[in-house]
Amino acid sequence: MRGLVWLCRRETLRVSKLWTQTVLAPVVASILFILVFGLSLGGRIKQVGGLDYEVFIVPGLITMAMVQAAYANNASTIFQARFDRYVNDVLSAPMPSWQMTLGYTVGGVFRALAIGVSLLLLALLLVDVPVERPLALLAAVSLGLVLFASLGLVVGVYAESWDFTTFINNIVILPLVFMGGVFYSVDVLPSPWEELSHVNPVFYLVNAVRFGFLGQSDVSIWLSLGVTAALAAPAYLWAQHLFGTGKRLKA
Amino acid sequence: MFLDVPALELKGLTKRYDDGLLALEDFDLRIPAGSFFGLLGPNGAGKTTLISAVCNLLRVTAGEIRVFGEPHDSMTARRWVGLAEQDINLDRFLTVRETLVYHGGYFGMRRAEACERADEMIAAFALEAKSDTRAPKLSGGQRRRLLLARALMHRPRLVILDEPTAGVDFELRTELWEYIRRLHAAGTTILLTTHYLEEAEELCEEIALIRDGHLIARDSADGLRTHFGVERLQDVYVKAMAS
Repeated sequence: MRGLVWLCRRETLRVSKLWTQTVLAPVVASILFILVFGLSLGGRIKQVGGLDYEVFIVPGLITMAMVQAAYANNASTIFQARFDRYVNDVLSAPMPSWQMTLGYTVGGVFRALAIGVSLLLLALLLVDVPVERPLALLAAVSLGLVLFASLGLVVGVYAESWDFTTFINNIVILPLVFMGGVFYSVDVLPSPWEELSHVNPVFYLVNAVRFGFLGQSDVSIWLSLGVTAALAAPAYLWAQHLFGTGKRLKA
Repeated sequence: MFLDVPALELKGLTKRYDDGLLALEDFDLRIPAGSFFGLLGPNGAGKTTLISAVCNLLRVTAGEIRVFGEPHDSMTARRWVGLAEQDINLDRFLTVRETLVYHGGYFGMRRAEACERADEMIAAFALEAKSDTRAPKLSGGQRRRLLLARALMHRPRLVILDEPTAGVDFELRTELWEYIRRLHAAGTTILLTTHYLEEAEELCEEIALIRDGHLIARDSADGLRTHFGVERLQDVYVKAMAS
C-alpha cells in the first residue's frame, strides 16, 4: 500500500504547489458568479422554491466548480505525465493497477474538495446557505467527484493534445452543467426543455447536491444518487481498465 | 543461490506494435546474475522495445520474461529492476530530492528510509546544491545524473541503462562510467544499451548484437572479434549489421 500512499501524496502535492491555479482561480470565478448572478440579479428574480435566488444557486455553483476541477485536474495530471513520460515511473513500480487508478483519482477529488470547502466558507459570508442533509450531501459529492475525476483520467489517457482535454470540458461538461439546473429550477422550463433536462446526467448530480444543502430538489434524492452512481461506476471501471490493460498508457 | 538463476531471461519474446511494426520476434536471451551485459544495435533494432517490455512499459505480444526467476510483471520482479531511460522523463513538479523520495515511495520504501537513501544518492551524484531545484531548472548533465540516481534509488538488483551517456560530455561520461563500474563491482547486474562501441567494450563483459528484432551474435568483445575475424569492435558491428 505504500506505493498508493506516495502516489496520493504526489497528486495532492501537485495541487498544493500550484494552489493559485488549482484552487484560488476557480474559487474566485465561482464567487464572481455568486456576486453577479446571486447578489446583483437576485433582487430582480423572485424566489425559487421558497428560497432566495442567491441561496438557491450556491449548491449548483459549488457542484459546477468541483466537478470541473476534478475533471480538469485528472485530465491534465495524467496527460502531462504521459506527455513527459514520467508516468513510466509509476507504471514500472511494484504497484497494482487498482492503486494507480485510485492514486490518480485522489488528486482530482482533493482539489475539488479544497475548492468546494473554500467556496462554501466564502459563500457563508455572503449568503446564508444551510446544510440540511449532510449524509445526502456527502454521498452526492462523493459520487459526483468519482464520476468526474474518473472521466478526467479517461480523457487524459486518450488525449493527444492539451486542447483535447479543454475541448471535452467546453463542449461536453460545461454545457451539461449549465443545462443541469445550476441557475434555475427545471420546473420553470417550458416543454420539451423540462423533459430534456431529465436526460442530462448532471441535472441529477446538481439536484442531489442541492438536496444535501437545501433539503429540496426537482427530483427524488434516490433517483439522483442512483443515476450519478450508475454513471460513476462505469467511469471508474473504464479508468481502471486503462490502467489494468495499459491501453494508451503503454505502447 | 541467486547466482544460479539468471538475472533476466526472455523466451520467445515478440512485440508487434499497433501499426504492424514487428519490433521483436521470438527473441530469446539469458543474462547471468551479476554480469555487465551490453546490447548493441542500430536505431530501430528493438533495444528500447526489449527494455520497455522488461520494465512493464509496453504490452508484450507473446513470450515470457523472468527477472531473477520471477515473472517480470510480479511485484517482486518490479522491485528488483531499476531503469534509466534514454529520454529525460523527470516529473516537472518535483524537486531533485522529492523526485528521489517519491520514487522510493512508489517502490515500497518507508519515508525515513527513502529520505536517507535520497540524501545518499544526492551526495553520490553531486546534486547537493540542486537538492531543492525542480527538474526543468537543471542542466542537461544534472538531469542525466538525477535519472541515474532515480534508477538506483530503490537498490535494484538489475539496473537497466538505456543509452545513459547519450549526448553527455566527456567528463560526465567518465564520471558515470566510474559510478556504474562501482555498482557492478558491488554485485549489481547491469544491462546497458549504447551506440558507443568503445563504451560497450570498456564496460561490458558480454555484448549482444541485435538487429531488426533478432539476436545476431553474443559474446565477449574478444569473442566477437574472433568470431567475425576482425580486429576492431567497429568492424564486428559493421559486419554483423551487414550480414
